[in-house]
Amino acid sequence: MDAGLKMVVKVPKLTVSHLGKRFGDLDALRGIDLTIERGEFISVVGPSGCGKTTFLRIIAGLEPATSGEVLLDGRAVHEPAGDRGFVFQNDSLLPWRTVFDNAIIGREVSSGVGPAERRQTMELLKLVGLEGFEHYYPRQLSGGMRQRVNLARALAIDPEILLMDEPFAALDAQTREIMQAELLRIWERGQKTVLFVTHQIDEAVFLSDRLLVFARRPGRLQEEVKIALPRPRTLDIKRTGEFVSLTDHIWRLIEDDVRAAALYENA
Amino acid sequence: MLTRMSTDSMKSTAAPASQTAGSDSSSSGRILIALRRRYLAATLSVVGGLALWEIISRFVVANALFLAGPAEIVVAIYHLAITGQLWHHIGVSAAEFALGYVIASALGIALGLAMASGATMKQALQPWVSGLYATPTIALAPLFILWFGIGIWSKVIVVISLVVFPVAINTEAGLRTTSERLIEMLRSFGATRRQIFLKVSLPSAVPFILAGLKLGIGRGLIGVVVAELFGSRAGLGRLISQSADAFNMPELFAGVVILAVAGIVMTAGFSRLEGKLVPWTRD
Repeated sequence: MDAGLKMVVKVPKLTVSHLGKRFGDLDALRGIDLTIERGEFISVVGPSGCGKTTFLRIIAGLEPATSGEVLLDGRAVHEPAGDRGFVFQNDSLLPWRTVFDNAIIGREVSSGVGPAERRQTMELLKLVGLEGFEHYYPRQLSGGMRQRVNLARALAIDPEILLMDEPFAALDAQTREIMQAELLRIWERGQKTVLFVTHQIDEAVFLSDRLLVFARRPGRLQEEVKIALPRPRTLDIKRTGEFVSLTDHIWRLIEDDVRAAALYENA
Repeated sequence: MLTRMSTDSMKSTAAPASQTAGSDSSSSGRILIALRRRYLAATLSVVGGLALWEIISRFVVANALFLAGPAEIVVAIYHLAITGQLWHHIGVSAAEFALGYVIASALGIALGLAMASGATMKQALQPWVSGLYATPTIALAPLFILWFGIGIWSKVIVVISLVVFPVAINTEAGLRTTSERLIEMLRSFGATRRQIFLKVSLPSAVPFILAGLKLGIGRGLIGVVVAELFGSRAGLGRLISQSADAFNMPELFAGVVILAVAGIVMTAGFSRLEGKLVPWTRD
């Protein structure tokens, strides 16, 4: 109604207030409050069962919240839509579609495809390093390349925010490092707002401006850590003392929870 | 065959260099030799089997009233062909098969779609479809002939009754087993139910539908022949029963051989079509 007015006032990119989620008796998330500014790279880390993926899915609109609300550019979010790009842990590529046709499917669904969209998608594929692979099928690609398509597909709808759910978890260690550096390169080009969920502390520290540490039972925001490492960052930064002390600090925050989660899962 | 979908092929990754620059020649050479070996064994097996058949029919059974050898069958086919009888029989059977198969395919896919459209619909249709699929409906062929006459329509009905159910069952199974991950991926972009159906469920059901249609080829051929045996004026089944009555073994076998060839050719053609239409299901 007063959207014009809101444009003038500076609205955070994403506002989460008092967000809660229950699955039956289980308190998956409780009282999450958070604001993300435009262009920020935010990571969520925490032990398994801390609700970090549920949190991301609620923001995507794939899962309803039990309480609280999520505002994207000041508008409440309830359903999935083309203003959020979701990058899945498993690549979820359609096996009968080529790389290009997979990358453009979000556009097909949300706004239709014309020459401009095709050109943009082509440029994005180039950006993620898949130039020349447009006509390949997913089964012809390596795991790292499939995740590049996954990323390009989310970027192709030109979303307001990129939601990434442990996108590199299934990759081997070397490929994962390369993909982290690639993601930073791509992010620095477009300055998209990113919310990145991972269980890897070093990955989160390397990528983020801010890091949200989640605790479990109930899933809640335990601490927020600002990562003041200079940008642009290269993989070398992982060997600096500052980086190591940051990852140590975060590990100590979640250590007890991780042990408890491991015990619980083994029981 | 159907369950081996995308997940398995994930492991077989290939870089573009090895794809475009033509892979290692020694390994492709080895594959060729292996292929030749496989075909060699198949060829030897078929030739050997035919030779054995010829020998048995000439020297062991040696009674033209019981068995015809391959050579006699070829001669019989040749004679039937030049008199034009063969083409008449083939034409009638082919028309019966084609009509029944096309109608059954359309009906079966529609039935499968209906079953996949909702739980109530499925509950209502499932007992009939599963029950009739398990029933040897071919036993109803005499009844269909009584109802629809001795012409081609009674055979068309028999073919439909045999082909429609596997197609329906496979279509429903294909739609039902659509990957939840893929549906969720499309949903994350704000896709409507209709878009999810058209862009994910239907394409991922295609391999299943094709498998059902392939299964239908053999069943349809059986339907044509058996229905013709029960009562017809022409067709390969008619040729077989006529020849049996006259103890004309070469012509009886001629009919059987032509049916076998038709089945093999159609199934092989269908497999090629599958390779073209759903290449992602291959290993």
